[in-house]
Amino acid sequence: MLDIKNLKASIDGTQILKGVNLSVKAGEVHAIMGPNGSGKSTLSAIIAGKEDYEVDEGSINFQGEDLLDLAPEERAHKGVFLSFQYPIEIPGISVSNFIKTSLAEKRKALGLDPLSPKDLLENMRQKMELLNIKKGYLSRNMNEGFSGGEKKRNEIFQMAMLEPTLSILDETDSGLDIDALKTVANGVNKLKTNNNATVVITHYQRLLDHIVPDFVHVLYDGKIVKSGNKELAFELEEKGYDWITKQF
Amino acid sequence: MTDYKKQSEDELLEEVTSSEYKYGFTTDIESDTIEKGLSEEVIRTISSKKNEPEWMLEYRLNAYKAWLEMKEPDWANINYKKPDYQDVIYYSAPKQKPVLDSLDDLDPEMKKTFDKLGISIDEQKRLANVAVDIVMDSTSVATSFKETLAKKGIIFCSISEAIQEHPTLVKKYLGTVVPVRDNFFSALNSAVFSDGSFCYIPKGVKCPMELSTYFRINEAGTGQFERTLLIADEGSQVSYLEGCTAPMRAENQLHAAVVELIALDNADIKYSTVQNWYPGDKNGNGGVYNFVTKRGICHSNAKISWTQVETGSAVTWKYPSCILKGDNSIGEFFSVAVTNNKQQADTGTKMIHLGKNTKSTIIAKGISAGFSDGNYRGLVKISKGAENARNFSQCDSLLMGDKCGSHTFPYIEVKNNSSKVEHEATTSKIGEDQIFYCNQRGIGTEEAIALIVNGYCKDVLNQLPMEFAVEAQKLLEISLEGSVG
Amino acid sequence: MELIEKLKLYAQNKDLSENQKNLFNSFMKQGFPTTKNEEWKYTSLKKIIAFDYCLNLKNSEIDSSLIKNYSLGLKNKIIFSDEKLISFPNVTGLKINGFSSSDCNSDEAFALLNSALSNSGFNISVEKNTVISDPIEILFFNNTKNGFCQYRNKIFVGESSKVKFIERIQDLSNSSNLVNNYTEIFCEKNSSFEYNKIQNNTEHSKLIDCLNVFQKQDSTSEINTLIFGGGFIRNNLNFEQNGSNCESNMNGISLLNREQFADNHTFVDHKKPHCRSNEMYKGIYLDNAKGVFNGKIMVRKDSQKIDAFQSNNNLLLSKYATIDSKPQLEIYADDVKCSHGCTIGQLDEDALFYMRSRGIKEKEAKAVLTYAFASEVIESISIPELRILAQNLLIKKLDVDLDLSL
Repeated sequence: MLDIKNLKASIDGTQILKGVNLSVKAGEVHAIMGPNGSGKSTLSAIIAGKEDYEVDEGSINFQGEDLLDLAPEERAHKGVFLSFQYPIEIPGISVSNFIKTSLAEKRKALGLDPLSPKDLLENMRQKMELLNIKKGYLSRNMNEGFSGGEKKRNEIFQMAMLEPTLSILDETDSGLDIDALKTVANGVNKLKTNNNATVVITHYQRLLDHIVPDFVHVLYDGKIVKSGNKELAFELEEKGYDWITKQF
Repeated sequence: MTDYKKQSEDELLEEVTSSEYKYGFTTDIESDTIEKGLSEEVIRTISSKKNEPEWMLEYRLNAYKAWLEMKEPDWANINYKKPDYQDVIYYSAPKQKPVLDSLDDLDPEMKKTFDKLGISIDEQKRLANVAVDIVMDSTSVATSFKETLAKKGIIFCSISEAIQEHPTLVKKYLGTVVPVRDNFFSALNSAVFSDGSFCYIPKGVKCPMELSTYFRINEAGTGQFERTLLIADEGSQVSYLEGCTAPMRAENQLHAAVVELIALDNADIKYSTVQNWYPGDKNGNGGVYNFVTKRGICHSNAKISWTQVETGSAVTWKYPSCILKGDNSIGEFFSVAVTNNKQQADTGTKMIHLGKNTKSTIIAKGISAGFSDGNYRGLVKISKGAENARNFSQCDSLLMGDKCGSHTFPYIEVKNNSSKVEHEATTSKIGEDQIFYCNQRGIGTEEAIALIVNGYCKDVLNQLPMEFAVEAQKLLEISLEGSVG
Repeated sequence: MELIEKLKLYAQNKDLSENQKNLFNSFMKQGFPTTKNEEWKYTSLKKIIAFDYCLNLKNSEIDSSLIKNYSLGLKNKIIFSDEKLISFPNVTGLKINGFSSSDCNSDEAFALLNSALSNSGFNISVEKNTVISDPIEILFFNNTKNGFCQYRNKIFVGESSKVKFIERIQDLSNSSNLVNNYTEIFCEKNSSFEYNKIQNNTEHSKLIDCLNVFQKQDSTSEINTLIFGGGFIRNNLNFEQNGSNCESNMNGISLLNREQFADNHTFVDHKKPHCRSNEMYKGIYLDNAKGVFNGKIMVRKDSQKIDAFQSNNNLLLSKYATIDSKPQLEIYADDVKCSHGCTIGQLDEDALFYMRSRGIKEKEAKAVLTYAFASEVIESISIPELRILAQNLLIKKLDVDLDLSL
């Protein structure tokens, strides 16, 4: 479903990604780990289409289409979802209004009729229950005054509502305590199907106890330097990143 | 870099600043103008052309004498080239029958102007039951529905007409809320005001329709000095709309209006404005100078509500105010002010609490974009005798991009310790991050900005009369997005 | 004899290391701060340091019934008496030790004094990836009449771990004792840390407390300071955010009467981007009580996307109660959200009358409104036993008999 070949990218003249290769098939969960500054967030930003970065070389293919040709909202309509490491506050727009608009735009792009208010509310209610989110939350302004944990849960709530094909979770677990982590992981797991895929970017092995990956990759200095299964994450945790960096 | 449709914020702002001013055109109607400059002669000419009674001429001359002694104010935070008052034409009236019974009698050229403005008076307004008084370059052209209103005893006509037909009322109230010597521009206005609206709602009458007026500055070099006087007698109620546009001109045009509202005991006045004067091009040239004094006085149990959406004019200096003289009176101010390119705005409100148990509410939302500077200056004054006064003020600024600025100067003067005064101010930004976040959720950049701006302004837009609210919303989107019509 | 003289004598007769001697000399050079010092502008130490304290502590045993009186009844307790570590629990994933010497990273007088002369305290280490489900109580008891004691404490919270503490400093001698307490907390990446301080001491007790929290990326810390009594209290609470995505929360409640005094000085140093801080301090002052609040927030130049919120609300319930409140924001980055608010007021007369008209007596009505004022802080306490204690202490202090449990 996602095919990244030799991706090289830079920002403000500094090269961050130096030839990333990654292949994700439907139904799979991939974890990407790596020390600070290795390029994890850069990779997710580029897949989502953030303009600050220059793609110098390489390609990203999503379901047979060249992703780099599309604007961020077009990629979203095709089914790409990024759970931001630092979710953005948008003053004046309520959570419900934002999701309603987001969903409506997606359906419009796909040529579908918008959901009836009744169906939309019912859908929201179900997903809120899944993620243990209280009723009053819908009328709050997007991420305004949210705690770190609430912001991350809001990301997963949007993911639940938009039902993407490819979800990239950028450090969704950073700063969450164990209970919040379990709720988020539970939500992500429930949304998994054989037709969608998840890329989990994390700094801590702890998350992978709850969202079990099929593949684990280590990103270091802009390249994926090692891949394995979930055992690799345990090794990393035990030995630390120095073990990897020393080899390269 | 791959080539897909991208709208970075910088590019968006580019589009906005280079979009053509929608209303930039002129009407080719023969105008009757006098020579440039201001002198006692000119004032006498204006007065005689309007056939004014002696007392009116005297009022004007006294005002002129006062103006000569006054100095133009210098406001920190605004830079502009001071207009040359001798380089302005103080009177221009299109050669027209002064009063029309129905809009069908309008000069077709004029009518074309109105259609271009998108007003479509004869359809929209008539259907919506709005009586319209159009001021085109210093003379009221048409007043419709006069008869319907007259049945209720409501007087809605041009001020020139009121001076002729209702002199007692005019004499009684003119200059009582904004005295001649109040400020430099009110003195100027009192001397040379050409026309404006006059409205009187009798005791206990609820005005059945929204009263509305449209303005337009046409002739090059014509200042617009309209004067509005609105009197709501005891227990009456009225909602008044004011909307302005102006054509493109190379030199700055002066707009120094005075609006006086009088709400007698238990009366209720709602005054809404949608202002879209020419803002100047992207380098800050041209554009209207908008110096307006708007003030209302509330008697016992009366209420005055100012609601405005401002998107135009190169330089704005405007503080709609309420004097809460009567006990239990209420003053409200709801405003959205947008500045773009190189516009400068110093706007705000004054709430003066004099009576007991008075209440005031201020909700001011500023949106700054481009290289513009928006200032909010608010005064809440609780005088010694104002027992139990209550005020709530909220001033929010929304910055689009990082080259614009917004400053808030709240002044709170409290001389009575039984009062409760609350002030809140917040600043937020629409930056690339917000836009990208919306993009990633499938919402395009223009939709995102519309969504954010409307969400931000909804508290104020909700205060506008329905039909105005729709136009106001559109106006906001146009002034911020650059989409055409 | 004045305290500073006594300390000089004490230091001379003690076998201090080179380092300790240097630290003590640095302290002597400054002396105790006066009101000319900006950080002590509203807080005078004159009377405090003039008193004749006893530096030779008794070290007596503590009756278990006394412990019960002042404990929340939780399973795990660390107990000190007159600078002696009496008992500590055995908890999996936790290493508890007594005092270990530490360097002084501050040139503040009380920090220097503490580093130079203290020889007691705790040193706790929480292992990586460990969630300590039961909160741990730390009790410091003073038995010596007019005793002066110092404690030096450290807590290390391992990566992705979670732990909660409740600390209480209690004078049992009913005298004018002085405690100089200094604690440093080190929060590793992604850890979650909560520390609650109950300060409900006797009428003449005095406390200088300094708590410094050093946070690495993705960590969350919450410090709650609950003051219900004490002669003189000065709390210094400092947060240093050394990584992105840190969150620092501080809540405080001061309920003082008679001649009591409490000064809360807080400081958050936002050194990295994408961090948050939340501060809510509420003060209620009766009789001649006095309070001081000083909240400083610093946002460094490259610390973008900071979200800092500070609020200080005060209720003055008598004509002679006073509060000095000073917020300080030093912001050097331009893409941040920082807000602060301060209110000082009295109880709502209309609300009081409304309740009285419904048959509620004036004293109880005032208590209900006062509780409502404090409730935002009390309700946010996560440990149920502590929340109930706070509610009860508040009711007791307002001298009413009400049941506010719901």
